[in-house]
Amino acid sequence: MNCQKARVLMSAAVDFELSLKEEQGFLLHLSECKECQDEFDEAKKTKMIIKEKIVQFKAPQSLIDSIMELTSVSVH
Amino acid sequence: MLFETGGFQLMDKPDPARNVKTTTQKVSLSREERQKQLEFQKEAVVHLNSLYNYALHLTMNPSDAEDLVQETYLKAYRFFNSFERGTNCKAWLFKILKNNYINRFRKNSKEPGKVDYDLIKDFYHSIKDVQNDTSEDESDYFHSLLHEEVYQALHSLPEEFREVIQLCDIEGFTYEEIANMVESPIGTVRSRLYRGRKLLREQLEGYAKKYGFNTDKDQ
Repeated sequence: MNCQKARVLMSAAVDFELSLKEEQGFLLHLSECKECQDEFDEAKKTKMIIKEKIVQFKAPQSLIDSIMELTSVSVH
Repeated sequence: MLFETGGFQLMDKPDPARNVKTTTQKVSLSREERQKQLEFQKEAVVHLNSLYNYALHLTMNPSDAEDLVQETYLKAYRFFNSFERGTNCKAWLFKILKNNYINRFRKNSKEPGKVDYDLIKDFYHSIKDVQNDTSEDESDYFHSLLHEEVYQALHSLPEEFREVIQLCDIEGFTYEEIANMVESPIGTVRSRLYRGRKLLREQLEGYAKKYGFNTDKDQ
């Protein structure tokens, strides 16, 4: 595998979306190419930052109430 | 499906003359409706927080986000029979929300790709229960990045990149689900994620330099 092919697979490798065969080829290339290994590490780190730093807000109670109301339409 | 929709409409607009004659039918319809509600709550309502956050990302405005989520649930409930059981309900809801957003908001929004940093700042400060939950004693510059800065960096990306990063890294959808949501092949999702993360990385390094951190590879 060359660097170009490795880059095509890079994001999928970060997200565990590679097939077994792709993964084997990718990891073999990383073991031989420091540049791609570095880029892989950086990409993993970037994903982690997004996961850690983007705050998930809690939906306001008024919204929760109105959705609950919507799904409990009076059936009496 | 026709039968169910009919039942739903019947309850919306009760017809007194019909009610008298069809008591038995009404009871069975109600039971069916009740079943639908329970299933909807179990399958769909549990994703309310995720949907609200996605709507916030899209609209950058809490009140618009609420409207969007409400509209999404209304539509989802009405068409719940067309939801394919066993597939990812969250993905289905996200797709409805995105379509609503496009129809309702994007037509008259600011030009694409233009970032309003003041808007992001205001937005972040308008929602005050932002918790500072990360430990600050790490020397790694990533840990010194503020939530707001990462948010800004994310929003500075062209929408096609930002969208896949959100769906993948924040919401945890699979590539197949994302491909379906953005209506592009998986290969496109892969390459957008690759390029998007690279762009994001460059943005974040800008902040790192601002703090005087060395971002050389061998650090």
